Amino acid sequence: MMREIAYQLRVIWATARKDVRSALTDRLFTLLGLFVPANVLILMSLFVLAGSNAPTTMVMNDTGPYAQAFYQAMSQAHSFRLETATAEEAERRLAAGQAVAVVTIPPDFDSSLQQGRPVQVGVEINNLNTDFTNDIRRAIPLSITSFYAKVFPNLVSVTVNETDLYAHDTDYIPYLAVSILVIALMMGGMMQAGTTSAREWEQNTIKELLLSPASRTAIMLGKMLGAFLVGLGSTVIVLAVLILLVGVAPEYWLEVIGFTFLALLIFNTLGTLLGTLVRQRMPVIALTMGISLPLFFLSGAFGPISFSTPLLQAVAKIFPVYYQIVVLQHAFHGFSLNTLGLAGNTLVLAGFALALITLMALVLRRSTIGH
Amino acid sequence: MSQAKMPAVEMVHLVKRFGSFTAVDDLSLTVEPGEIFGLLGPNGSGKTTTVNMLSGLTSPTSGEVRVMGYDLRTHTRQVRQVLGAVHQETALYEELSAWVNLDFHADLFGVPRSEKKARIEQMLALVQLSDRKDSRVSTFSGGMKRRLALARALLHEPQLIYLDEPTLGVDVQSRRALWDYILGLRRQGKTVFITTNYLEEAQALCSRIAIIDHGRLVALDTPEDLKQNFGGNVVEIETALPFEALVELQALAGVQQVEQDGLALKVATRAGDRVVPQIINLVAQCCEIRNIMVREPNLDEVFLRLTGTALRD
Repeated sequence: MMREIAYQLRVIWATARKDVRSALTDRLFTLLGLFVPANVLILMSLFVLAGSNAPTTMVMNDTGPYAQAFYQAMSQAHSFRLETATAEEAERRLAAGQAVAVVTIPPDFDSSLQQGRPVQVGVEINNLNTDFTNDIRRAIPLSITSFYAKVFPNLVSVTVNETDLYAHDTDYIPYLAVSILVIALMMGGMMQAGTTSAREWEQNTIKELLLSPASRTAIMLGKMLGAFLVGLGSTVIVLAVLILLVGVAPEYWLEVIGFTFLALLIFNTLGTLLGTLVRQRMPVIALTMGISLPLFFLSGAFGPISFSTPLLQAVAKIFPVYYQIVVLQHAFHGFSLNTLGLAGNTLVLAGFALALITLMALVLRRSTIGH
Repeated sequence: MSQAKMPAVEMVHLVKRFGSFTAVDDLSLTVEPGEIFGLLGPNGSGKTTTVNMLSGLTSPTSGEVRVMGYDLRTHTRQVRQVLGAVHQETALYEELSAWVNLDFHADLFGVPRSEKKARIEQMLALVQLSDRKDSRVSTFSGGMKRRLALARALLHEPQLIYLDEPTLGVDVQSRRALWDYILGLRRQGKTVFITTNYLEEAQALCSRIAIIDHGRLVALDTPEDLKQNFGGNVVEIETALPFEALVELQALAGVQQVEQDGLALKVATRAGDRVVPQIINLVAQCCEIRNIMVREPNLDEVFLRLTGTALRD
C-alpha cells in the first residue's frame, strides 16, 4: 500500500517537473501564460480609468465666490475631469472632441444669486456617446444640489443622514481591481493548464502517458501541479501590479494567499479539462478568453451581485468566479458580499474544486486514441 | 499454464466498429513468446486500430485481447507494465533532452530509483546516443529519434515490444542499425510485434507475418511459407520478337497474370499448378526465346495477390 502511494506520488512529481521544464522551453506559451493575466489587469484598469470621468470645460465668465463654490461642487461630483478655458477655446475643444461638455457660468452668476434671481448655466454637450451624455445630464443637477446645500444650507430642507456599513469607503478602482485579479487568475490558470494538456494531444505524447501503468488521476494531478507552479509566476506579477501599482493593500494576507491558491487549483483543473477535451492549444486560448470575459462581467465585478437582477444573480451563482470574487473582496477589503460567510463560500469553492477534479479524472480515464 | 508458456499476445474474435464502419472484423491471432511477429496491411486496413487495441489505447467493440496472459480489460495495468511501445510518431518530448525523456519514462513506469541512472546510461549506450544525452530531441535526425524511442520503450524491461513502422522515414544506414537492435531483442528472449509497410523489413525480421485487409485476416504464416503457399512461380521470359499470343497464354489453366513490356514477358502462376512447361512451349512456338528465369514470387507479389493492392497504395 505504502509502495503504491509512493509510486503514484513519484508519478505526480515527475509529471509536474516535466511540464514545468516543457513550459520553460516553450517561450511563446510561457510568455502568454505569464503576461496575458497581467495584461488583462492593466487593460481593465485603463478601461475603468478612461471611462470614469467625463472631460468637461468650464467657461468662468464670473469668478465671484458663488461661481467658485459652484466650480468646487462640480469638481467634487466624481463625474467630471474639469478644465477652465475661454469661450472660444472651449468651443474649439468641444468641436475637436476633446471635451464632452462645455459648462458656461454667466457673468451675472453671483449678482443674480445675491438678488434672488434665477440663473441659467449653459451646458453644451457632445452627445456622441450616450453614456457620457447621461453622466453629464445626471451630474450637473447633482452638482447644483450640492452647491445649494453648501452655500445656502437654510434653503435645503431635505438632508441626508448617512450611516455606513463599513468603516471606510472603497473607491471604484480598488473594488474592481480585486475582481480583475480573479479573472486574471482564471485566465492564467486555465491557459497554462489547458495549453499544457492540449500540447500532449497535439504532439501525440499523450500516448506515452496513457500507456504507462500509472493511474490517470496521478498523471492529471501531476499536470495540475505543473500548471500551478508555472501559474505562480503570473500570479506574483498580477499581485505585484495590484498591490504596488494600483495600490490595493490586502486586509488579510493569509486569506489572499489561501484563496489565490484555491483559485489556481480550480482554474487549473478547468484548464486541464478544457485541454483534454479540445486537444489543441490555440482553441484552448480562444475558449479561455471567451469564457473568462463574460464571467467577469456576470459575477459581480463592478459591485455586489445582490445589486444585480435576480436572473443574473442566479446565473452567476452557478460559476466559481462569483464565490472567488466574494472571498477575495473579503481578503482585500474585509467585505461580506453574500450571506454564506467566509466558511460557506470556502466550502462552495472546495466543492467546485472536488467536482472538477472528479470530472477531470473521469474524462481522462475514458480518454482513448482515435482510429 | 505458467506464464512462460502462455502466448505473448492472443487476440480472439476482435472487432472494432466506428459507427457503421468496421475497422477490425473478427480478427483472431496468436503471437508466441520470443518471436518477431509482423502485422502487414495496406493503408486503412485496420493495422493501427489493431495495435491500439493491443496496447489499450482503444477499446474493442467485442472480442478479447490477452497480453502475456493478462486480460487487457481486467488487468490493464499489468499489460502496460509488460508492454514497451514505439509509436510511428515516436511521441517524444522534443523540447526536452534525451536524458530527461528517459528519466521521465523511468519515473512513469516505476523503474527502481537505485537502478534508474544505470539503466538510462545503458539504454543510451545501446542506441549509441550517449554523447547526445543532453541535447534536445528536436535537434535529432529521424533515425536518432527512432533509436531514442526504442531505448525508452526498453527502459522498463518489457516482455513484449510493439513497434509501429519502426523504420519509416529513416535512412538506409539507420534502418540497418535498427534492424540489428530488433534482432538483438529476440536474442534476449523478448517478443516483438511489428507493423510495417516495408515487406523487405518484414522478411528480414519477422518469424511470422499476418496480412490483414479491410480489418480481416487474409493470411498468417512464415515469410517463406507465405511465398510458397500463396504464390506459385513467376516465369520471366525474354523473346527475340514481341510475343503476340497473349490471349492463349492467359487461357492456360494455372496462369494467374500476364504482363508484357516490349520483349519481356512476366507470367505469374497459381500455387500448386504445374503450368511452367506449357508456358515455355507456347512461347517457344511463337518466337525465339533468348532468356528464361523461373523464380519464387517475392513478398510484394504475394501481398498484391492477397489484397489486390500494392502495399504502398
